[in-house]
Order: sequence, then structure tokens, then C-alpha cells
Amino acid sequence: MPVERLICDVAVVGAGPAGLAASLAAAAAGTEVICVDQFPRAGGQYHMQPNAPDTPFAKTEQVQQGLQAIRACEAADVRFLTGAEVFWAEPPKSSGEHFNLYIQRDGRAIIVEAKTLVAASGAMERPMPFPGWTLPGVIGAGAAQRLLKTSGAACALPFKGKTVLAGTGPFLLAVASTFAKAGQKIDHFVEMQPAAPLKKARAMLRHPLRLPDAVALLRDLSRTGAQRHMGAIITRAIGTSKIETVEIAPLGPDGAPDLRRAVLVEGVGALCIGYGFQPVIDLTTALGASHSYDLALGGWHCTTDALSCATSLPRLYAAGEVTGLGGANPARLSGQLAGLHAAAFCQGKNPERNGTATQLATKLLAFRAFAATLAQLYPMPERFPLPLVGDEVVCRCEDVTLAEIKTAIADGAHENFAVKMWTRAGMGLCQGRNCGAGIAAALAESDIDPITAGYNRSHFPLRPVSTCIATAAFASSSEAKA
Amino acid sequence: MTPLPKSAEVVVVGGGVIGASISLALAEAGAKPVLLEARAFGGAVTGGSLAAIGTHMHGREEFGILDYARDRWRELSDASQDGIEYTACGKMGFILTDAALAAGKTLVAQEKSQGARAELLMPEQAQQYERLLGGPILAMTYDPDTATVNPFHAVRALMLAARQAGAQLFENTPVARLLVEAGRVVGVETSTGERVSTPHAVLACGPWTTKLAADLDLNLPIEPRQAQCLASIRQPSGTLRQVISSCEAKGGVDSGYTQIQQSPSGQILFNTVTALAPTPKGAEDRVGEVQPGFVVDSVNTLLMLFPALKDLPILRSWVRFEAVTPDARFLAGPVPVPGLHVCAGDNGSGFCRAPLLAQFIADGVTGRQTLPVALQQRAAQLYDPLRFMDGQNV
Ligand SMILES: Cc1cc2nc3c(=O)[nH]c(=O)nc-3n(C[C@H](O)[C@H](O)[C@H](O)COP(=O)(O)OP(=O)(O)OC[C@H]3O[C@@H](n4cnc5c(N)ncnc54)[C@H](O)[C@@H]3O)c2cc1C
Ligand SMILES: Cc1cc2nc3c(=O)[nH]c(=O)nc-3n(C[C@H](O)[C@H](O)[C@H](O)COP(=O)(O)OP(=O)(O)OC[C@H]3O[C@@H](n4cnc5c(N)ncnc54)[C@H](O)[C@@H]3O)c2cc1C
Repeated sequence: MPVERLICDVAVVGAGPAGLAASLAAAAAGTEVICVDQFPRAGGQYHMQPNAPDTPFAKTEQVQQGLQAIRACEAADVRFLTGAEVFWAEPPKSSGEHFNLYIQRDGRAIIVEAKTLVAASGAMERPMPFPGWTLPGVIGAGAAQRLLKTSGAACALPFKGKTVLAGTGPFLLAVASTFAKAGQKIDHFVEMQPAAPLKKARAMLRHPLRLPDAVALLRDLSRTGAQRHMGAIITRAIGTSKIETVEIAPLGPDGAPDLRRAVLVEGVGALCIGYGFQPVIDLTTALGASHSYDLALGGWHCTTDALSCATSLPRLYAAGEVTGLGGANPARLSGQLAGLHAAAFCQGKNPERNGTATQLATKLLAFRAFAATLAQLYPMPERFPLPLVGDEVVCRCEDVTLAEIKTAIADGAHENFAVKMWTRAGMGLCQGRNCGAGIAAALAESDIDPITAGYNRSHFPLRPVSTCIATAAFASSSEAKA
Repeated sequence: MTPLPKSAEVVVVGGGVIGASISLALAEAGAKPVLLEARAFGGAVTGGSLAAIGTHMHGREEFGILDYARDRWRELSDASQDGIEYTACGKMGFILTDAALAAGKTLVAQEKSQGARAELLMPEQAQQYERLLGGPILAMTYDPDTATVNPFHAVRALMLAARQAGAQLFENTPVARLLVEAGRVVGVETSTGERVSTPHAVLACGPWTTKLAADLDLNLPIEPRQAQCLASIRQPSGTLRQVISSCEAKGGVDSGYTQIQQSPSGQILFNTVTALAPTPKGAEDRVGEVQPGFVVDSVNTLLMLFPALKDLPILRSWVRFEAVTPDARFLAGPVPVPGLHVCAGDNGSGFCRAPLLAQFIADGVTGRQTLPVALQQRAAQLYDPLRFMDGQNV
């Protein structure tokens, strides 16, 4: 199998707001940039480009802004590799050597050699088990959004029946807004946090620039026609071969659902549910960069320098959600900073000299402060949002129940890695991406603090890769030749 | 969490398969051991193991030892109601050259003479046991009695059994140094400065054993070797049935040694050992990454034998450190510091010896004689930790 080998100054993994901003900043500074993304089109989550020109999304600001960013990158000679998955990355072994990115695309291997690397790998959903969560028709709120945005002209979810959107966080409003733009009805909107309009108004007043966005989101929620259940939670998804009914209960002052006041909603076709996001840290953990834990930032995230976005690994920069959740604005700003510094490194310059970097960093701090305010208003549940019975499945790939995990913890598995060894939870196809939050919640319920519980560092390959592609790529890598 | 006890009859340092087995043997002997593990139980090379157990391939001299150990694993499997997934799948060694064919014939004859059911199979015969087997093989050595266990559950079962028999086990408790007074061991000190006084310490720290020993001017000839493995996405059960390995003329795990098997979960696990390259100082404390050359060699060997697995998706890899000694045998027994025992130097095959070594060490610590005398003597002779020591170390 022939292996394509590309060489550049700055390689950027991820073409979301962070990756696009990093690519543009580095290219504008005069370096050669390659930007890689596994999705068929650049844009990431926020700027996701529709796959048909005539969908209601094509004209929205998120898509248009993204398109502009992509065009600006192309005009600055950024080379995009889309539909291209990074399955492995090696850090430089000496100062004269480069990063090696191993990529699979259309059944072929590509190697990108880069002097510096910007990890802008974004965030993913943080699925939380609850009774009935494995029934067909129960999907992530983010997945629902993606389905809508990429469903072409039809612009509808492929489920018959009522739609329920549930979970917690400002992101639920963003998804509701997507439904509104798609002209899709939501029947019930269920948010764990109480309405608390005064508290929210007070918090928002500290960030007046963000007020119009908030108002627009609330208006979109109204347009979906959803009945709102604030301070409530889905206690059960019920059905035989697929979801049919959901049970919604208000949360009492002690945080526990009040089942006497629960209501059943029948005829449900889709339950779109989200308990927040988690940074995608497989690339940065595999490279060996340092990571920190902060629940308000989505849990484990790649540690970066506030001014330069440098990680603990020389020549590796990180930007956007992988450095902690914050949304599109901090993603863009940190991307720009990372791109500037990565380019400056290649050119032997110091970007702090011209002041741009400092200004960007100051702005970034302000946006991060707003993100922190939101995180306070909508704290992500660290433990299971509901008490679970033992036979609830936590790891779906390997079919591991909560009871098995609890027994392993009681037997002496006091970290994520040990639970994985003794139960196989996290050893399946998703390699812990989907069950990580559930395992962490089980450890938290046993009073093991998240730092002790740790995270599973990623190893070769970041994503499954066929033996043929892997060996073709590695056989042509410089080390194997030597 | 339970606080560390102030004193113990015996302290075992290291909670891999060796330390866990020793703790069980000591607890069964009534010695109430305290086991201290630096990180997670079985998280080092033990948790990266393919855990094949049996007599095939390790040569004549250790035959009785390996046979005994396999019986003990079988007992543990019964006691744990097969929580350890003991699977008597059999093992085949592939032969590619005429020289290897001669060696394979000798090996099979030797094993047979000691009572094994080993055989030499022609390629067509071998395919009846392993239907996807292809490639340029001349013959296969075959032993139907080789088994595998689930390495994680094996350690867990050993731990639980030891705890039930009176052992106390602590994870995330690294031992920083051994305490010695008047030339003999009197205790251990953890990295947080806590002390457990004890008249007996057993070092079962794999390649790290040298560190604690070096403080006592004891130079153990153990080198860390990077050991690694690849795992595929689950395949239909029965894709592979046996442990497939290369047939080593001199026995043991050496550069070029290959092992391939399907785990009960369905994943294909495979690796081809790379040459022993010196491990940089301190690197054995870090989780490493597989080298490109290892991936290429392992895949090429897999596909040479099983061309049908051409598009197998790789899901995961891992790297651990084995403890290599000059003659590929353990260092097990007392050393010239009264109260101190070592049991390390697995050379890539510690699972198939663990129960025997555990009994051997427990006997040594408690002064009892539970192993058959012949095995006890053989172990003492083969694994003598002083066999490489010239006067200067002592
Ligand atoms: C499902 C989901 C929906 C969201 N919807 C909204 C919304 O509606 N409004 C909002 O304000 N915010 C939303 N967010 C938050 C959003 O993540 C940020 O606002 C913004 O997109 C972050 O930018 P980013 O560049 O850090 O990450 P992303 O936009 O997530 O971009 C990361 C990119 O990296 C790529 N990537 C990662 N790893 C690899 C690899 N190994 N190989 C190749 N490519 C790789 C991914 O394909 C992705 O395109 C959403 C997040 C998620 C997870
Ligand atoms: C891919 C692969 C395949 C294998 N296949 C087989 C096979 O088929 N059959 C077989 O028999 N063997 C096999 N092995 C080898 C087998 O796994 C090892 O020989 C065995 O696990 C060694 O066990 P151990 O307890 O000596 O070492 P370890 O598991 O390394 O245990 C040592 C423990 O000591 C701890 N420790 C170190 N220093 C300290 C300290 N100061 N204080 C406290 N604790 C400390 C460590 O954290 C570690 O947990 C394989 C290995 C690999 C990697």
C-alpha cells in the first residue's frame, strides 16, 4: 500500500472553531499548515457544515461564520485533510525531529510530519446511565443535533412519535435552538436545574455582551413548542424493543426525584438527553502531555499555559474544548493564540513582542470567566443524577453492570484503570469514551476523589485501524526504516 | 481506607501475580502477611499478560515445576468457580525451518518422556485444530494441556483468597526503602514515611526489585525489557482456538518469540517480541508506547500464519516491563540480608510459575516444608538468587 507523506510547519488536529482559528493564525504568520479532521467537512461541532445546500441551516450564522473561516484558511493556503482520522501520533524524539501524525483516510495511510502540533480535538458527549438508557430511541442531545444538521433537506429526526429533550446545561438550549431552526417540534424539555430566573438574570448581567445570545436561545426554545419541566429529571425510559414512555419527576430540595409527583409521557419516539460534555483527550494523553481535573471544565482536560496555549510537551499546543469546556468563543481565541505561538516557534520568533498575543489572552480570560459563570449555573453531575439499581449496564460495549463495578471497587479497585482491569468496563470498542463518565460516577459514589480515580491514558491506536494501514504507515516511518 | 498496621509477621512488596500468589501461600500457612503495592493490584506487567500456563516450550529442567504450577492454577479455578476463566485450550508452536524442525522433534520427545501429551503435527493435521492456520509452516508442536487464565481476574481471585485467609492488602502504597538494623531486616518504610516493622520482607517488585535491593548493596542482575502486545476488535468466538507461539529451540521468551491467542472476550491478542534494547533509566516507571517496528513485526507474523485475518482492526496496544535475568530464570529465595527474600526475574513467563514460586517462598519464610522435596530442591538450585554473585556483592 503506497503511503502519502506530507511535511509542514504546523499541523492542526481538528477543524472546529479552535482548529480553524489556529490554522488561519499560523498560515497568516507565514508558515505551512495542514489541518486534519475526521469529519467529511471542516467546521467541527459548532460550525458544522450541512451536507445539502437547501437545508434551513445553510443560512444560519453558525454555518456562515464557519464557511468564512474555512474560506479564509483556504485563501491563506491552509491544506485541509478532511475525512481523515488521526490514529496515532508520535512526539519528536530530539530537537531536530518532527511530530509524526499517522492518518487513515479512505482506506489509505497518510503520514504528516510537522515541526509543531496544535491539538484542537474538541469535546464529546458525556453519557450518564439511567434506567432505560440503552433502549433504542434514547440518543445523546449532541447526536440529535448532528442528525438534524446533517439530515439534508428532510431536516428531521428519523424517529416517529414525541420528542423529549432532557439533561442539563446551556447546551440543551443550543440543541433546542437547532430544533427550532429545523422546524422540528419538541414535546417536552426537561432541565435538572430549577428555573431560578433571578439567579440567572443576575449572573447574566455580569456579562451583558452575552445577553442577546441568551435571549435568542430562550426565544428558540419557545418556538419549539416544548412543555418545560425545570428542576426535573427523566427517572426512567420505558419500552420493550424501543423507547415508548418516559417518566419525568421533579427534584425535591434534597436533590432526589419526587416520584409521587412523577408524570408519564407516552408515545415517545426519541429521548435526546445530555448531561454535559467531556474534552476529547485521546490525542493529548497519548502524546504524554499533562492533564488536570476540573468538573466545571468538563473533568479531565489538557493543561495549557494561559498566554501561549503551550502544553507540558515541547512544541505541542492545545486549543478549544480539549483544554476545558468553554464554547466557541474561547475555542476561537485559544486557537488563534496556539496558532500564533506554533508559527512563531517555527520561525524562531517571540509573539509576545507585538502585543497581539497579550490582547488575545486578555479577551480569552473574559470569555473563560463567562464560561465559568455558566458552569456554576448548570453544574454537571459528578455522580449519577439518579440512584441506580445494580443491574443497570454502565459499559455497553462489554456489558458491565453497576453492581460489577461496585464489587470491583469494594475488592480494591480504587481507580478508573483498576476498575477497567477487573470488569472490562472501558475495554471495548469505545475504549471508555462512552462509559468513562459512568465509571467515574461509580468511583465518586464510593467517595474516591476524581484525581485518585484518574483517567485512562490513550495508547496506539487512538481509533481502530486495520492491520494493513497500520503496518503500511509504520513500515514507511523513519524509525522502522532505521 | 484502613490504616497500615504498625507491624506484621511478613511484608510482601509488590502486588503482581507473584506478590499476590506469595501472599496467598503465606496466608494459607497462617503467616498473616501484609502486601504493599505501589499502584493498582496487577496493574504492571501482570495486567498486560497473555497468561498462558503449562509445560510446553519451557524445556525439560522446569517441567515438574510447571506441571505443579498448572495443577495449582486448576485448583484456584475450581475454588473461584471459574472466576479466573481457566481455559485448557492447548498450545501450538510453529516451525518454519529445518533446524527448528529438529529442535521441535527433540522438545516433543523430551516432553513425552516426562508424561506430557505433546505431539508433532503436520500442517494439515494442525489445521484440524486451528482452521485458519496457513502460511509456510513445516510442522507444529502441539500440547493439548496448555491453558490460559484471565490475568486480571487471576490476581483478583488470589487477592480475595489471600484476604480471606488473613492477609491484609494495600494498593497505592509504594515502599520507599527497607529498614535494616544490625544487618537484618526490621521493617519497611512507605513513600509517605509510614513504617511497618517486620522480621521478614519479600521483594516481588518485578524489574523494580533491583531498586530496593540496591539500597542494601545487593546487586541483582535484572534488566527491564519492554514487553508489549496488540489487541484487535472482538472476533467471532472460535476464530482462533489455541495459543499459537513460535517454537523456541532453547525455550523461554526471547527476541522474535511470538504469541497469538483469542481471549474469551473475542479479541485477538498478538505480539512478536523485539530485541532486548536497554531501557533508559527511569523509563520503567513510565507507561510507554509500542514501537513502530514492533507493530510491523507482530502484524507480519500474524498475517504470515493467518492470512485470513488481513483486515483485522487493531483496537489497542499496551507496554509493560518484564524482568530479564542472564539465564532467563527467576531469582527466588533468601539473600544474604537476614529476613530478606526476593522473587523476581520473570523473563516474560511468570504466570506459569507463580504458584510454585509462591509455595517455595512461603516455605522459606515460615520454615515449613509443603512442596514435594524434589521440587523444592530443584527450585532452590534453578532459582538461587546468589548464583550470579561474586563475593563483592555480599
Ligand atoms: C455534540 C456537540 C454539539 C455541540 N453543539 C454546540 C452548539 O450548538 N452551540 C455551541 O455553542 N456549542 C456547541 N458545542 C460545544 C462546541 O464543542 C464548541 O462550541 C466548539 O465547537 C468547540 O470548538 P473546538 O474547535 O474545540 O472543537 P470541535 O468543534 O468539537 O472540533 C474538534 C474537531 O476535531 C476533530 N478530531 C478530534 N479528534 C480527531 C482525530 N483523532 N482525527 C481527526 N480529527 C479529529 C473532530 O472531528 C472535530 O471536528 C457542541 C459540542 C458537542 C460535543
Ligand atoms: C504481552 C505479554 C504476554 C505474556 N504472556 C505470558 C504467558 O503467556 N505466560 C506467562 O507465564 N507469562 C506471560 N507474560 C509474563 C507475565 O505477565 C509476567 O511474567 C508476570 O506477570 C510477572 O509478575 P510479577 O508479579 O513478577 O511482576 P509485576 O506484575 O511487574 O508485579 C510487580 C509489582 O510490584 C510493584 N512494585 C514495584 N516497586 C514497588 C515498591 N517499591 N513498592 C510497592 N510495590 C512495588 C509494581 O507496581 C508491580 O505491581 C506475558 C507478559 C506480557 C507483557
